[in-house]
Amino acid sequence: MKVSIDEVKYIAKLSKLKFSDDEAAKFAKEFESILDNFQYLNELNLDINEDNENVELKPVIRQDEVKSFECNDLFRNVKDMQETYIKVPKVIE
Amino acid sequence: MKMIIKDMVDKIKTGELTSEELVQSYINEILKNESTVNAFLTLTCDEALAKAKEIDSRIKAGESLGKLSGIPIAIKDNICTEGVNTTCASKMLEDFIPPYDATVVKKLLAEDAIIIGKTNMDEFAMGSSNENSAFKKTLNPRDLTRVPGGSSGGSAAAVAGKMAPVSLGSDTGGSIRQPAAFCGVVGLKPTYGLVSRFGLIAFGSSLDQIGPFSNSVEDSAYILNIISGTDQYDSTSIRDLKEIDYTSSLKEGIKGMKIGVPEEFFGEGLDEEIKTSVNNSLEALKELGAEVEIFSLPIIKDGLAAYYIMSSAEASTNLSRYDGIRYGYKSPNYTNIDELMENSRSEGFGPEVKRRIMMGTYALSSGYYDAYYSKADKFRTKLKHDLKETFKKYDLIVGPVSPVLPFKIGEKNTDPLAMYLADIYTITANLGGNPAISIPSGISKEGLPIGIQLMGDMLCEEKIFKAAYSLEQALALEL
Repeated sequence: MKVSIDEVKYIAKLSKLKFSDDEAAKFAKEFESILDNFQYLNELNLDINEDNENVELKPVIRQDEVKSFECNDLFRNVKDMQETYIKVPKVIE
Repeated sequence: MKMIIKDMVDKIKTGELTSEELVQSYINEILKNESTVNAFLTLTCDEALAKAKEIDSRIKAGESLGKLSGIPIAIKDNICTEGVNTTCASKMLEDFIPPYDATVVKKLLAEDAIIIGKTNMDEFAMGSSNENSAFKKTLNPRDLTRVPGGSSGGSAAAVAGKMAPVSLGSDTGGSIRQPAAFCGVVGLKPTYGLVSRFGLIAFGSSLDQIGPFSNSVEDSAYILNIISGTDQYDSTSIRDLKEIDYTSSLKEGIKGMKIGVPEEFFGEGLDEEIKTSVNNSLEALKELGAEVEIFSLPIIKDGLAAYYIMSSAEASTNLSRYDGIRYGYKSPNYTNIDELMENSRSEGFGPEVKRRIMMGTYALSSGYYDAYYSKADKFRTKLKHDLKETFKKYDLIVGPVSPVLPFKIGEKNTDPLAMYLADIYTITANLGGNPAISIPSGISKEGLPIGIQLMGDMLCEEKIFKAAYSLEQALALEL
């Protein structure tokens, strides 16, 4: 399975990660080796003989309770704030 | 100090032992060993001692305390502890201080346990050696030139190094059982949904499960009593659970118990010494009255691809929340929102985490979804079906935990695939959702611990504990 550097860069873009050309080339190689090793999955017979018993999934619900947090606790991990707003770079031009 | 936790608690409650003495004795071991073993990322010794004194005075005042009154416990650093750093061993969460406790932590504290520290791990629980931690390398207390296993290597090393009597870890593909085997302690991965994942920082949500490390099977059952149970904050937690005392049936023996040994577990790649040790344990199980039978379960040798596709796919979505905005690492280098996210993630995550995010994104991307994710999902359905059939015939499946002995530091960390292959025996229980335990089975010629794995049907922890306890008593290993 051939994985190109462009493909790696495209996946990186989807993942919101950045790689140098060297890193991307290394990734492409590793990917190839891992995916080649995983090819056997396509050759397995994964049919199940009996009727597939349908497991009934029940919805899981709970009361939506209001829980109060101290503002300081809640925003303890935010790096950049103004009053109770989190600051981000301009999103819309 | 080989005392079971229940006895420690009883002694503390009657005043024969004080919690302060007990906590201090573990702190002394930490002072002696931690500078070489590196099991902890955060130590809370001062707070632990203060809490121990408080517990002692409450006992003196005649208060009735919980099932873990005055017992120190170490917690893996991907389990949230209110007000105490929880880093996942990642630069991404280096300064993260959770505003809440994980449900398991709440349960431990409600029984008056004392948190003594947060343990090292592979970054975001991705790895089998603890070498992927962004901060330090934990060494195996049984042999300081070797890895403790992973990803819960710090939790295993803390117990094996006598720095805590018990600890919590998490297991997504073997991350409790493999380090337990490498460090010569007991490690349990409970049934998926038996222990709440609320407050466990997510890696592969359909595979992750919290469980205990301990010195004995009895302690493992004792801790499961406390941490198990339905939790309304975890939608995958099993509803309508029966309350079970897992310690009550430990000593019933295993006469007539049917144990299946898949021949696929003994194929190519299994270390000879591990094979011999597991076989010896199987003989011991026979002598205890179990019916041990070798059978074929072809699907269990093929789980690796499905496991890595699914866990990476889930990781790639779970880790998309780290964007440098609400919490976590924030890059100083950016001019717009996209750069802020890309740079924060690229600088904050380590190489293995990036590799898994990339693999997961690839497997989920259009054009490859059917070839990888759908196929893996189909594999999982088939595996669950085959396991269900198997457990109609056998009470337990028994085999090795790891195909290799604890390896040297640096020996495998250049080849990700070689590292992945070491998970071959443990991933089945995660893909199936089944409970499984790793207990010491023997010691290699070089003095390295060897583990044996006992896996059961869903919610059959009692059977696992019973067999593991009988085997532990019969082997009577001095580690």
